[in-house]
Amino acid sequence: MTCFDVELTVNGAPRRGSVEARRTLADFLREDLGLTGTHLGCEHGVCGACTVLVDGEPARSCLMLAVQARGADVRTVEGLAPDGEMNRLQEAMWDSHGFQCGFCTPGFLMQITALLAENPGPTEAEVREALSGNICRCTGYESIVNGVLLAADAAGSDE
Amino acid sequence: MQHIAERYTGASVRRSEDPRILTGSGRYVDDVRLPGMLHAAFVRSPVAHARITRIDVREAAKAPGVVLVLTGEELERSLVPGPGIAAMFSGGAPVPAFTTLATGKVRVVGDPVVLVVAESRYLAEDACELVEVDYEELPAVMTPQAARDPASPAIFEDLGSNVLVRSPVAVFGDVDGAFARADRIVRADLRQHRHQNAPMECRGVVCSFDPESGELTVHSATQGVHIVRTTLSTALGLPPEKVRVLAGDIGGSFGLKLGAYREDVACAAASRQLSRPVRWMEDRLENLTFSGQAREESFEVAAAVTNEGEILGLRVKMTIDTGAYPGMGTMLPELVKTMIPGPYKIGALSFEWTAVVTNKAAYVAYRGPWASETWVRERMVDLIAMELGMEPIQVRLRNVATRETPPRRMVTGRSLAGVTAKESLEAIASTVDLPSFRRLQAGAREHGRYLGLGMATYIEPAPGPLEGKGGGGIMGPEQIRLRLAEDGTVTLFTSQMPHGQSHQTTFAQIAADEFGVPIEQVRVVVGDSDLVPMGFGTGGSRAATMAGGASLHGARALKARVKEIASHLFEAGAEDIELSGGSVAVRGVPASAMSLAELARAARSPGRLPPSLAGDVEVTAAFDGGEGGWSGGSHAAIVEVDVETGQVRVERYVVAEDCGILINPAIVEGQVRGGVAQGIGAVLLERSVYDEETGQYLSSTFMDYVLATACEIPRIEIEHLETVPLDADVNFRGVGEGGMIIAPPTLCNAIEDALSPFGARVLEQHLPPARILELIGAIPAG
Ligand code: FES
Ligand code: FES
Repeated sequence: MTCFDVELTVNGAPRRGSVEARRTLADFLREDLGLTGTHLGCEHGVCGACTVLVDGEPARSCLMLAVQARGADVRTVEGLAPDGEMNRLQEAMWDSHGFQCGFCTPGFLMQITALLAENPGPTEAEVREALSGNICRCTGYESIVNGVLLAADAAGSDE
Repeated sequence: MQHIAERYTGASVRRSEDPRILTGSGRYVDDVRLPGMLHAAFVRSPVAHARITRIDVREAAKAPGVVLVLTGEELERSLVPGPGIAAMFSGGAPVPAFTTLATGKVRVVGDPVVLVVAESRYLAEDACELVEVDYEELPAVMTPQAARDPASPAIFEDLGSNVLVRSPVAVFGDVDGAFARADRIVRADLRQHRHQNAPMECRGVVCSFDPESGELTVHSATQGVHIVRTTLSTALGLPPEKVRVLAGDIGGSFGLKLGAYREDVACAAASRQLSRPVRWMEDRLENLTFSGQAREESFEVAAAVTNEGEILGLRVKMTIDTGAYPGMGTMLPELVKTMIPGPYKIGALSFEWTAVVTNKAAYVAYRGPWASETWVRERMVDLIAMELGMEPIQVRLRNVATRETPPRRMVTGRSLAGVTAKESLEAIASTVDLPSFRRLQAGAREHGRYLGLGMATYIEPAPGPLEGKGGGGIMGPEQIRLRLAEDGTVTLFTSQMPHGQSHQTTFAQIAADEFGVPIEQVRVVVGDSDLVPMGFGTGGSRAATMAGGASLHGARALKARVKEIASHLFEAGAEDIELSGGSVAVRGVPASAMSLAELARAARSPGRLPPSLAGDVEVTAAFDGGEGGWSGGSHAAIVEVDVETGQVRVERYVVAEDCGILINPAIVEGQVRGGVAQGIGAVLLERSVYDEETGQYLSSTFMDYVLATACEIPRIEIEHLETVPLDADVNFRGVGEGGMIIAPPTLCNAIEDALSPFGARVLEQHLPPARILELIGAIPAG
C-alpha cells in the first residue's frame, strides 16, 4: 500500500512518519511515536478516551487519520507534564481523587484542558456539559467535576 | 496538598497510582511492546446459531503480512481438551463440551471461528476479510421460553436440551403456614434485563513463548494473575510454573476479566507455535457483542403479608438466561436464594430456579452478580406498600432485623450480626425529610409535575459474618508477603489485582500505620504470578477485609520479625525494642538507634544473626477474614418524570452506607458513586438487545449500548455509618459492589412513586422513555 509522509508537531517537538492513508492519528501516536498515554476505548468516536488537542481544539484521534494531522500542532496527555512536574489540572485531579482505573483519563484531561483555555471559570453545569462527550465507567463523574472546579479555582486565585 | 495524618488509615490520602495515571505513563496491556510481536484478529460468526459446513482460509494465508491462520480443528490439536475455566464457576452444573475456536457449529454472533496472526492488526483484519466460512443456519434460541420448548434445537448436543438446570424446590421455614396465615398475597412477575460490564478498556493479552526455556509469559488485563495462569497452563498442557502471568494497569473490569478467555488460549497456542509474541486487543464491537453479558433474570414472586405490612414469607421462582457458553450463570442462583431475605425478618421462603442456554453472549459476573435478590426484594416491598396503602419505609422498618431484637439470622441461615439496615434507613429518611417531600410532591402534581421518591436497603456479604469459622469464605484465606528492603522501605506483595480500586494506596496506608513508617516507604507489588502469593485476585468485594486484614497482620508480623532481629543485634529483649520513624532502638537508649536500612543490611551480612533470622527480612502472613461482617446501607433517590417525553431526571441521590471502618473515605466514596452511576445507567439507558427472530445483536456500539455521562449522573450525597466492630483488628469491609446492587431498585422505586397517579407498577428494571410512556398509558405496551 502507498505510504504518505506526515510531518507534524507533537507536544512541541517536530515529529515525522510515513503512514498508510488509513492509519488513524491514534495509532500513529501510539504505535509509531510510542505515545501510549492516549487510549482507545471504542474506536468509533463515542467514548472520548482518545481525545487529543489538534491546533488547540479537542479531536477524537480514533476518527482522525494521521495524514489529516499533517502540519498540525498536536498535544497529548504526555505533553501536560513535560518535565514530570504535574500541572495545575493534574494536581487538582490528584487532590480530588478524580479517577480510578485511569483508562478514560487522557481524554478527560485533554478535553478539560481545552475547556479551561476557553472558559477559565466554568460553572458546574458548564463543566458537565463540556464533558458530556467523555465516558468514564468508574467514577460517576463527581470527582472529575470536582477536579475541574478545583483546577479552575486554583487558576483564579493565582491571578 | 499531601494529607498529613496521625494515622493514614481513615484519611483520604492521595492515591499513589495517580502520578502515573495522570501523566499518561500508566502501563496497560495495549501499551506492551515486545520485539517481534505479532497481532491477532478473529474471524467471528455473523449468525447466532448454525452449522459450519466449510472453511476456506487459502486466500487469507497468502495475504500480505500474514504469519498464521488457524481453524478450530487445527488449534485443537495443540490443546488439552476440557472445560477450562467454565467448570470453576459452574457451581456444579453440567458443563457442555465446546472448543476454543468454534468447530462444527457456532452458537452466538461473534463466536470466534478462525484466528489470523499477522505483522499488524490492520493486516490481520484485512486477511480476516478473505476467510470464507459457509454456515447452515439453525433456528436461533433467543429467550428462556424458546429454550424451554423441547422442540428447540439443542445448542449443545451433549446436553440434549437447552434447559441446563432445573433446581429442586428449597424450603426454609414454614412456607405453607405463612401463606395460610397471610391477610393477602402480593404477586408480581419481575424481569431484569441483560446488562454489560463495558469497562472502558476492552479485554487484551500479549502472549510470548520462549522455546529455549519452554516458558510462556503472558501480559493480561485480568482481575487475577493466578486464575489466568491456571487456565492457560491447563489448556496448553504446560506445568503452571512454566507460565508467568503479568498484569499492569487495568482499565476497569467489573467482573468481566476473570481468568483466561478462549481468545487468550488461542493467542497463547499461536505464540507457542510461532515462537513469537502474539498480541490481541479486543475492539469495542467484539467486546459488546461477545465478551460477556449479565443480569438477565426473571422472577415469579408471591409474598404472604399481613394487613399491618408484616412479610411472613416469599415464594420465588427464578429463571436465568446463561447465554451460549458457560460463564457464571449456573453458580449465581444459589447465592440469590441465600441472600434474598436480606436484612429482613422474613420467616419463610421457598425458592427454585431454572437455568437455560440461549444463543446470546455468555452470562458473566458483573459488579454484585447476585444483585437480583435485592432488586426483587426491594421492588416487592414497594409493591406490598402500594397494595396496603402504606409508606414503603414503614414496611421496611417493620420488617428489618434490628440489632437489638431477634431473630438475628436470615431464614436461609446466615447470621445478621452487625446489620445496620434500620439505622441507614432512618438516616436517609431524615436526610430527604419524607413529610416535606410528600408535601412538595403533592404541590407539584397539581402543576402537572411528577416527582417521586424511592428508597431501598441491602446488605452484602463482604465478607459477611464468619461466626468464628474463618476460612475466608468461598475463596479461601488471603495470603500476603512483606519484605524489608535494604533501603529500609517495605515491599508488600499481594494477589489482589486492582483495576481501579486503588489498592496500591489503601494497603500501603494500613501497612504504614501498623509497621510505623511513612506511607511513601511502602510499595505495593501486584500483577506477577511469580512474585505475588497465590490467590483468587480481586473480586467479590473481598479486598478490604481480606487483603486489608492480611496487610495489617503481615505488617504486624514484619514488625515482630524486625524486633526479633534487633534484639539479637542489640542483645536486648524483643519487648524492649522500639520501632518508629524508620529506625529501631532499645527503649530509653536513643543512642542505640539503627535505621531500618542498616538493619536489613545487617541481617544479610554473614554471621550476625542465627540462621533462622539471617538473610532477607521477609514474612508471609495469611488472614482468614477474622469475624467478617456485612457491608450494606440504604439509598434514596428523588426523580422527576416528564410525562410528555418519558424522560427521567435524577434530582437528588442520597446514600447512607456502612462498610465498617473506612480505610480511605475518598476511595470508598468513589466506589459508591461509580456503582450508583452504573445502576442509574442500567435503569435509564443500558440494555443488550437481540433480534429475537434472527439472533442478531443490536447493541454493538456505544451509540446503541448507551452509557451515562456527566449530564445524567447527579451529585451523590454520602453519609458513612462506621458501626459495629466485630473483630479485634480488622473491621474494613468491601464496598466495591454495593452501589450497583442497590441503585437499580432505588431508582425503580422512585419512578414508580412518581407515576403512582397513573397506577403504574414497575415490573421490569429497564425504564427508558418509551417504557415510561407505556407505563403511564400514553402509548400502547409493546
Ligand atoms: S476511542 Fe475515540 S472516541 Fe472512543
Ligand atoms: S477512571 Fe475508569 S473509566 Fe474513568
